[in-house]
Amino acid sequence: MTSSKDWGFAENLDGIRGEVAIAGVGESEHTRASGRTPSEITAQAIERALEDAGLPPDQVDGLMWNSTLDGFDGQAFRDHFDVQQEIWESDQGGGMVWAGTAPYQAAQALRRGQAKYILNIFSVAWATQRADMTGGPGQFHAAELFKQNLELPFGWFPQPIYFATIARRHMHEFGTTEDQLGAIAVAGRRHANHNPAAVLHERPLSLEQYRESPKIADPFRKEDCCLISDGGGAYLMTTAERARDLRQTPITVAGVGLGTSHTGMHWAEQSDFTATPQVFAAPAAFAMADLSPADVDVFSCYDPFTIVTLMQLEDMGFCPKGSGGAFVEGKHLHFDGGGLPTNTHGGMLSHAYVLGIAHVVEIVRQLRGQAAAQVPDAKVAVYGGYTGPQASTLLLVRGDA
Amino acid sequence: MSLQREDFPLPDTRWEPTRKYWEAAARGELRIPQCARCGRWVWYPKADCPDCYHAEFIWTKLSGRANLFSHVVVRHAFLPQYQNLIPFVPALVVPVEAPEVRIATRIVEIEPEEIQIDMPLQVVFAPLQFDGVEATVVAPLFQPAP
Repeated sequence: MTSSKDWGFAENLDGIRGEVAIAGVGESEHTRASGRTPSEITAQAIERALEDAGLPPDQVDGLMWNSTLDGFDGQAFRDHFDVQQEIWESDQGGGMVWAGTAPYQAAQALRRGQAKYILNIFSVAWATQRADMTGGPGQFHAAELFKQNLELPFGWFPQPIYFATIARRHMHEFGTTEDQLGAIAVAGRRHANHNPAAVLHERPLSLEQYRESPKIADPFRKEDCCLISDGGGAYLMTTAERARDLRQTPITVAGVGLGTSHTGMHWAEQSDFTATPQVFAAPAAFAMADLSPADVDVFSCYDPFTIVTLMQLEDMGFCPKGSGGAFVEGKHLHFDGGGLPTNTHGGMLSHAYVLGIAHVVEIVRQLRGQAAAQVPDAKVAVYGGYTGPQASTLLLVRGDA
Repeated sequence: MSLQREDFPLPDTRWEPTRKYWEAAARGELRIPQCARCGRWVWYPKADCPDCYHAEFIWTKLSGRANLFSHVVVRHAFLPQYQNLIPFVPALVVPVEAPEVRIATRIVEIEPEEIQIDMPLQVVFAPLQFDGVEATVVAPLFQPAP
């Protein structure tokens, strides 16, 4: 139980500032249980990303995905697009932390000449799988044997319980309030209400409505918890130089950071229970980019629960530790006039549960000036990725880094 | 997948990494592993001590006194087997002898509204009972200290 920083570390990453650009982004339709397979969803997201970039499928020679969740690999790509080329593949892609670190691995592959145009892809059909009782995020965690034998027997499970436990401890240590968590939910919903692609586009949420919603895992209401939906996303990476020949304004990777806790894989084992490994990842990414939190125009972060946004805002240096509650109050996270527009597509709370890849798609659109809830003249944007014992920070800028 | 066990979500008391925890509970004892070389408490169980990398542990009996680290009042059955428990209070507790670890458990014998973080607790052993599951397993739960 220590607040010192001896519980984890930042990975030592080579500087890649200015080397990699994101040249295309795409998302599938985001829906409740749809009967679609992850591969169908992925294919739709890739088609849209390539159309966005103006790059034909036969030029794609790199593919990054997550081996545990997504079955769409290089052969699936060739089969779907009826192309023949060799494809460099990495299983270090996908959503969550990897939506933030994929550009780092891509930079290495681009340097070595292993690939010229690399897609990072991620999709889930967890709404469909949960409805069919064949999977979903709860079952994903329940399959882990320490959880099965030390957590589930007590009902300390599933994810809403882990994070409600963290939220209550954060409230105890720092005086964070339910209304402050509610402000995060309200901001996300307001952005979803501006974004026709969001699953909860047509469902407004006021702070009064939040207060009236019953607590399902006290201190959490359902509005503190992310959606379960079917959907996916893709983004296309290439060198900053090649990106200038494609259709869109290049968005350049300015910094990447990866932080790791070494105190265990489970939430109960995290030494600093109310912090995330962003305390290690974010300073490293800002240093690589030669930027600071004050330079960021648009903030996005993996937001399975309201408290996870609040902790990352603190841990990434946007406000002092413990003051996240006051920071998020009122309209501070709103796209139109807020001090730090946050998860401007609606995030996982109100847009879609695609585990972070849509966050990267969104901040690319913000930096191009193409977002549904556009922040005026956005030049610098950040994504905070999170999985529990790991966190990543990805800093993007418009034009050259 | 082992999720299909008929007694899920009871623990698999034969699973080696946590077998001694459940065997101790069946005897009315709370035991967790302590590094045989440096004495560090290690929870969850690991193959090697994180401090000194020694691979031998002593499952040491604790007094059962603990402080509440944080808790949740659950009012929605996230698993159908939890339905009969609603409302219930899963929690993390910190044993007084082992302040560096947190144990997942359930708080019992107190109204949820009266529970306070950091309150002193005492272990109590009781069978776990779930909707639709015939078997039971005795588990360490925690109640307010006398």
